[in-house]
Amino acid sequence: MMTLIWSSLTIGAVYALVATGYNVVFTASGVFNFAHAQLMMLGVFITYAGLVVLKLPIIVVFLMAGAIVFVVAAVEERVAIRTVRVAEAQLVTTVGVATLINGSVQRIWGPSPLSVPYFSSNQTVTLFGGRVLPDEIVIIVTTFVVVAILMLLSRRTMIGLAMLAIAENREAALLRGVNVRRLALGAFAFSGLLAGLLGPIIGPQTFAAAGLASAIALYGFVALAIGGFGSLPGGLIGGFVVGFAEEFTARYMNSNYPDVIVFVILLIVLLFRPNGLFGKTRERAV
Amino acid sequence: MTTLSDRLKTVPTFTLPLVVAIVVVLLPQLGLSATNQRQVLLIGFLTLLVSGLNLSLGYAGELALGQPAIYATGAYVAAYMGAHGTTDILLQIVAAVGAALVVGVLTGIPGLRLGSWSLAMTSFFLVLLIPDIANIFPNATGGMVGAVGIANATFFGAQVTNYGYYLVVVLCVIFWLAFMRNLVTSRHGIALRVMRQSPVLASSLGISVFRTKLLAYALGAVPAGVAGALFANLDHYVSPGTFSFALAISILAASILGGATSVYGAVIGAIIMQLGPSVSTSFQQDALIFYGILLIVGGVLLANGVSGLANKAWKKYVVKRAHATRDHAAAATEFHFAPLNGAKLSVNGVSKSFGGNQALRDIVLDAQPGQVTALIGPNGSGKTTLLNMICGFYRTDAGTIDIGGTRVEHLRSHEIANLGLARTFQTPVIPAGITVAEVVLSGRYSPERVSIASAALRLPKYWKVHAHDRAQVAEILNIVGLSDLADEAADSLPLGTRRMLEIARALVSNPRVILLDESASGLDEDEVARLALLIGRVRDAGGTVILVEHNFRLVLSLANTIHVLAQGEIIASGTPADIEVNPRVLTEYLGVKDVAAAAAAIEADTTGSSR
Repeated sequence: MMTLIWSSLTIGAVYALVATGYNVVFTASGVFNFAHAQLMMLGVFITYAGLVVLKLPIIVVFLMAGAIVFVVAAVEERVAIRTVRVAEAQLVTTVGVATLINGSVQRIWGPSPLSVPYFSSNQTVTLFGGRVLPDEIVIIVTTFVVVAILMLLSRRTMIGLAMLAIAENREAALLRGVNVRRLALGAFAFSGLLAGLLGPIIGPQTFAAAGLASAIALYGFVALAIGGFGSLPGGLIGGFVVGFAEEFTARYMNSNYPDVIVFVILLIVLLFRPNGLFGKTRERAV
Repeated sequence: MTTLSDRLKTVPTFTLPLVVAIVVVLLPQLGLSATNQRQVLLIGFLTLLVSGLNLSLGYAGELALGQPAIYATGAYVAAYMGAHGTTDILLQIVAAVGAALVVGVLTGIPGLRLGSWSLAMTSFFLVLLIPDIANIFPNATGGMVGAVGIANATFFGAQVTNYGYYLVVVLCVIFWLAFMRNLVTSRHGIALRVMRQSPVLASSLGISVFRTKLLAYALGAVPAGVAGALFANLDHYVSPGTFSFALAISILAASILGGATSVYGAVIGAIIMQLGPSVSTSFQQDALIFYGILLIVGGVLLANGVSGLANKAWKKYVVKRAHATRDHAAAATEFHFAPLNGAKLSVNGVSKSFGGNQALRDIVLDAQPGQVTALIGPNGSGKTTLLNMICGFYRTDAGTIDIGGTRVEHLRSHEIANLGLARTFQTPVIPAGITVAEVVLSGRYSPERVSIASAALRLPKYWKVHAHDRAQVAEILNIVGLSDLADEAADSLPLGTRRMLEIARALVSNPRVILLDESASGLDEDEVARLALLIGRVRDAGGTVILVEHNFRLVLSLANTIHVLAQGEIIASGTPADIEVNPRVLTEYLGVKDVAAAAAAIEADTTGSSR
């Protein structure tokens, strides 16, 4: 039972990280980056290439994954976001970026899943009466640390406050001297950096698989919806809710049901708590 | 003048596709090979899928990625029927459409509440569910193996031949495209375009944004359901592998390629996407990379590329012409409004605060039919906030608002609009890409209704209302003096003309209450005179006019009652004669210290700056 809880927490942490990536970009630029899960997948594939193909030391792999995805995300913002101001067209271009990354990854590494080695040990340990891999613990702890740091940054630094200001009212922030464009670029690049750095951490669990992104994109989105768009702690909790829902239905019903159950949760949340558990409602202005 | 250009517009858009359609119907008779016939059929299915997406993406502005799921729904329903003794293809199509609508509406409602990416993601999620659902019901769907044993389709008892099947598919595509064309060229099409660009404007015209989006999204499911039913009868085999993410992406790519905001573009997009991949095998391998680049480039162009350039050129041309013709624009001087059934508007004790900022405090005012009630006050005094509360854009913190005996403070804005409230905006809201006549036509949405069905099928009711629409639009354009601009792109007009256009749009709905928000600012002297004349006529016709205005002289000359707002409170109410000499008004609004100098100040204050 505790083993099941550990695996739920692990997979939930991955979804929470996807939701966090969505949130960082959404808060700073009001854009929903459909391709964020693909950026994370890219980080995992680069990890595979670095550790297995090039046999580089883990530190170098971290830096390489972070740097490459950082650049890819920055390019995405310049090419596919900044040139487009209409929301539905941005959706189309971000879907385009997602498709492009999917296609490129398949072209380079092939369609079958590749296993990414553990960077610590692969000996399971028993913790609170459940078996768990050290890597799983690392994922869970990392997720909490990332969310905590981002929350601190968003409240304590000028950049964080500026991002909140943009999320609240883009034009007002602009008038107060916030460089909205540079921050949007920065947020994309930062989310890319984060996605890249997480590659070696989540890779052993998720595998380097071309189908990875679509699944975690959707589950990460459900986490986001549950937590409320723009809420960092909300995304964290949402991620764990989805993780538990998935693992428990897979265990106690069968493997056909997790998607259905998570989808039903999504519909219910959108219907009855459209702003999530932590989101705020806002009045429409003319 | 509209008839000629209308004719010029409709002739080519409808004859060329008709000729193409006839050719396609006859192709097998002309010796098209079976392989190529199959390509035509596949293009037909893809066209239906893309066209459905166009309705939601191109017209309603909502990206739906779930077309493969709706397609699968239709296919599985038809497959189940075909394997269980109901082989009539028409019955299968009807059932498939019904099922597609149910799935579309049930999954669309939650996603549409938040719109944009919520809908994109919920609909995308549906595609992920297809294999799961197939596995959960293995007896009905055949699971991952696929549904087999689908009997040959029949048509009223007769076996459907190969050519018969070909005909059914092609006719379904033709019928759908005709339906779609009729829909988007009707007032519903204009409503969709208005809503896509400004939901606020749409609801102030009495269009329910949510319902309209849901309708567009649900209608977009119809062709996908039809395509599904037809697809099940192609190979008598349906398996989950067909309805993949890749299909969702290629539908989107086809939509972007052909132009999302178009009817026949779906055919072009479908042809390219169907025939393109078969050109070379290396293409198939790199298909996703190609689609990705296509979507990025297409999305950028969709937002501001090709159509943007065209718009700019158009704008340059039109503005020039507009300026050239404005001098000659002869507005009708002799006109009368049909009597308006004005309603009394009562605002009673309304308060509103935004956070700690008390925008309005205990506002009490009445506006009577056949009178002009003016609202003046410095910037930030709460005038527009009050209008927005009357329109239902903001909720009141306290107090009641009543229009003609109906309490409206809890109604939504489109419901209030449908009670007969029309307004203009401080900054004119004129959607891009539609003509002056169409802008005015959008104001006709609320007073006289036509169902989607009668518009798309061109039933008698549609033609009747259509005739009314044209007559009313022509009349009102004549009255405001914009007849000569009827077919110009509305968003390229100068500010003063756009203000008049907004007034025309408000008047064409025969409003019971009309709210004018700073309509005179930015108008030249002639236009102000015209505006004053119009407001006077509306008042004489029995309409209830609320005038928010900085032009003090205009207010004094028109208003029956003036209410002066300052810092969210009414500081004075009365006739123009009272207000003109009210000391508080002079100090707080006009900024006059010396009351004796008031008269001079009023004379000077014609621009309406509030100092």
